[in-house]
Amino acid sequence: MEKNKKLPVAKIALCMVLLALPFLFTAVGFQYGVLVCCFAFLYIIAVSGLDIDFGYCGQISMGHAAFFAIGAYGSVMLHQYFHIPIIFTMVIATVLAAAVGAVIAYPASKLVFHFLSLATIAFGEIVYSLLLNSPKGVTGNAVGMFTDSINLLGFSLSSNESFYYFGLACTAIFLMAKWLMVNSKVGRAWVAIRENPHAAGGMGINVTKYKVMAFAVSAFYTGFAGAMYAHLVRYIGPDTFTQKQSVMFVTMMLFGGTGSILGPIVGAVLVFSITEGLRMFEQYQMLIYGALLLVVIVALPGGVYGEMKKLAGKLLQKGKGGEKSAA
Amino acid sequence: MVKRVLLEIDNLCLSFGGLKATNDVTMHMEQKKINGIIGPNGAGKTTFFNQISGVYKPDSGSIVFDGKRIDGLKPFQINEAGIARTYQVINLFKKMSVIENVMVGMHPRLKANFFDSLLHNKKQKEEEAKAREKALDLLDFVGLKEYAYAQAGALSYGQQRLLEIVRGLASDPKLILLDEPAAGMNSTEKVELNVLLRQILERGVTILIVEHDMKLMMDISDRIFVLNYGKKLAEGTPAEVQKNPEVIAAYLGGDEE
Ligand SMILES: Nc1ncnc2c1ncn2[C@@H]1O[C@H](COP(=O)(O)OP(=O)(O)OP(=O)(O)O)[C@@H](O)[C@H]1O
Ligand SMILES: [Mg+2]
Repeated sequence: MEKNKKLPVAKIALCMVLLALPFLFTAVGFQYGVLVCCFAFLYIIAVSGLDIDFGYCGQISMGHAAFFAIGAYGSVMLHQYFHIPIIFTMVIATVLAAAVGAVIAYPASKLVFHFLSLATIAFGEIVYSLLLNSPKGVTGNAVGMFTDSINLLGFSLSSNESFYYFGLACTAIFLMAKWLMVNSKVGRAWVAIRENPHAAGGMGINVTKYKVMAFAVSAFYTGFAGAMYAHLVRYIGPDTFTQKQSVMFVTMMLFGGTGSILGPIVGAVLVFSITEGLRMFEQYQMLIYGALLLVVIVALPGGVYGEMKKLAGKLLQKGKGGEKSAA
Repeated sequence: MVKRVLLEIDNLCLSFGGLKATNDVTMHMEQKKINGIIGPNGAGKTTFFNQISGVYKPDSGSIVFDGKRIDGLKPFQINEAGIARTYQVINLFKKMSVIENVMVGMHPRLKANFFDSLLHNKKQKEEEAKAREKALDLLDFVGLKEYAYAQAGALSYGQQRLLEIVRGLASDPKLILLDEPAAGMNSTEKVELNVLLRQILERGVTILIVEHDMKLMMDISDRIFVLNYGKKLAEGTPAEVQKNPEVIAAYLGGDEE
């Protein structure tokens, strides 16, 4: 009970900090921090989506960079060739990513883990080579494409500060939506499929339908993150959408901890910070991800957040036990 | 009162390679009865269940449930049609809570669609609240209410068997298939199971049970079917079956067959 009363205070404090963060960064002269947060937001959205597919529904995807690409290129191309205002292009491209996700997921839902990883890697490679060798060069091939900032009701989000607040709002909406989904009949069905697909079918769950749904929702999240990326950086090229990007999403998710709201947030922020901190070793990026994954597999099987939760649970139990024995 | 056949299985056949796991089996089961299937290990009982519940598609023959042909349908469609089941090897959603397991069992009866679930609108909230309440009632029914928020995997073996049964009942089935529900239960739990099965019947749910515990089967079944090497050896009341020389031979491991 007491805890429930305390909780809103912590939440309000968190909101205030998040709202004040750009000013704090400016005050200490670390402008770059705002940009780092902008990236963190879009990675949180992408990885939270991947977690819906893997952490909740139990389907691996090693090719989510493809949806990141569809969101990014979709939005940029719709703006460039059809002159649709950017915020609408982002939405359309995101829906497109989800639709492609659904089409891919239907045959993929029949595959077991290893084959699903291979199939999603192949899908990622196909999308990548399409970006590099597009018909009539519509994607700018190796050169890539330049684009504009988001324009929200006549207000251009060209500064990192304005993008920060846009990113914060989007992250809040996507995380809220994830929470609502996983705490419903749909989320229960996803977890049931992860836990035991045979029994899930026996309980009246249309396993194929729910797997496709999870994959499409996850592609929606990652697609939107891709569109955010495009209009934050204002340039996209095929190099951003390689297998490395997919591996980064998976690393972020596993490092933070799967099947939760907070795990992917922790993972996205930590792994992105580590990668940024080790920028000078960029050519070893895959090695860094490999090392991080090894750490998770060997030392933190539940991810950083998962292990923290376990530890907190243990401490709480110890505390309770202590009280009991003291009484 | 007219006796109504709920499950009508005719000339069912299924082979695994050269092995005839189900060999021309015909069984008709009446509504609101406890029907038992017995037979030695490997007789094909679980395989038979797996065809009724849609895990395997029979090679030939037909399964008519409640007047509707169901053979060849997918497991989820058969559950929707009103047949629930439990598994010989416990198949719970181990990392979910006990109450969530039951609520997964209600899945086909919940009407909220994806967007209701995304928005948590009034319809969805009311339905979830009702479902939660019903799940607690069901858990109370089998004496698991106090464990509602424990992890399913943390329950004792006997409790997990009970949870499998309530999870099945959660979809309000007309028929429930129980595959060795007493396996691993101690004698007290078996007595409780006996009582529970009668209570399930009182709720209007027809039961089809596979079980090796003869005492329980002879006591509880209205009608018993005997399977041996994939074939139906006999059927009748428990008294009739017990006297059947072929059945006795099969159980004593007689080689004359
Ligand atoms: N998927 C399968 N592939 C091949 N053979 C199978 C398969 N499933 C079952 N069998 C075989 O079919 C026969 C019947 O098996 P089943 O599991 O139905 O027996 P059962 O009557 O349930 O036995 P028990 O009392 O031990 O549970 C056995 O010989 C078994 O080895
Ligand atoms: Mg069996």
